[in-house]
Amino acid sequence: MMPQVCAAMIGTVAFSLLFGVPRKYYPWCGVIGGAGWAVYVLASGRWGIVCSSFAATVVVIFLSRASAVINRCPVTIFLISGIFPLVPGAGIYWTVYYLVTDQLGLAVHTGYAAVKAAVAIVLGIVAVFELPQGMFAWIAGKLRQIPACCRRNGR
Amino acid sequence: MEESREKEVMEAALQAGHLLLENGAEISRVEETMERICRYYGVHSGNAFVLTNGIFVTVGNRNEPVFAKVEHIPVSGTHLDRVAAVNQLSREIEEGRYTIGQVSGRLDDIKRMPGKTKHMQVLASGCGSAAFCYLFGGNASDSAVAFTAGILLYLYVLYISGPHLSKIVGNISGGALVTAICILLFTAGIGDHLNFMVIGSIMPLIPGVPFTNSIRDIADGDYISGSVRMLDALLVFFCIAIGVGIGFSLIGGMMGGMLL
Repeated sequence: MMPQVCAAMIGTVAFSLLFGVPRKYYPWCGVIGGAGWAVYVLASGRWGIVCSSFAATVVVIFLSRASAVINRCPVTIFLISGIFPLVPGAGIYWTVYYLVTDQLGLAVHTGYAAVKAAVAIVLGIVAVFELPQGMFAWIAGKLRQIPACCRRNGR
Repeated sequence: MEESREKEVMEAALQAGHLLLENGAEISRVEETMERICRYYGVHSGNAFVLTNGIFVTVGNRNEPVFAKVEHIPVSGTHLDRVAAVNQLSREIEEGRYTIGQVSGRLDDIKRMPGKTKHMQVLASGCGSAAFCYLFGGNASDSAVAFTAGILLYLYVLYISGPHLSKIVGNISGGALVTAICILLFTAGIGDHLNFMVIGSIMPLIPGVPFTNSIRDIADGDYISGSVRMLDALLVFFCIAIGVGIGFSLIGGMMGGMLL
């Protein structure tokens, strides 16, 4: 599993470069992407694709919001590249592959799974963004001991 | 308060909003930043209506003169460093570090911030493709093929499809190109798993930014912008799928279906 997590980190950093993330945040993006994939792999051993996508998304968004508050910059920076390994690009590919090879049953099955994964990601994003900003400010404050000035940024 | 100052504040707010929106920020951040700038410089009747590709601002009441402006913002690439810089600027404005004249100077600087060089982007696309190929189950030689395909794909995106083709044609042809490259290398005997090679190499085309932003916009209640961005993401997903399908059918057909 470790090499896979490393691959997720490299992939996340590569894509954060494509999106123009400032260089000093590359390590943060890499760790968030790696953590998300690690959770996904661990969870998918036990649960289905929906629950594992949801769990991984929750972890990615939580870490992104925390890093945004700690670094006082927009959460988008960490969020977009961190979520990338979870976006069901592979699911789309398999759907097309089965369609082209005339395996309609499998195509419907994988397409349905990709849509379910996408919905799980949506729910994960929405759920963690409902958490109050003050909570992240508190976490960052514990880490930095200067809570007052970070409360108004983040989101 | 004199009229020119109002106008200057609104122009600066509009410029900040323009930069944010163009470079991949979500709607609520654009609105909030514009409002912060207006409020700090004492313009109280400012109103902004923000969509994915346009900003409408008006100001004016009994005490403040009327000013209105509409700005069209075409969808372009994502530069999150500019979003971060504008965010930082808006925080520094609230700390009182800038006069309004300095703000538009700073915004011009941010607008001119150099992006990543083209060969860095191409290299990143290759590395990303290779990493995702490995992630989804490929081995080292599959990743090498994905690396090559990712590099060629991004060269195509930067020099041909980006400047000259529409989004639909660009993504369909990009997907087909990647599939064709992978099939050719695979039949030449490089790489073991054709599927993982293609999955890795199409990743640079996947519309992660509009997808994520659309969810956040809808969650914030910005339904129009959210659905426009969602439509954008779905369209691109769909085009990639069609492209991959075309690549398989054409090249696979030429080779007598022996690959599939």
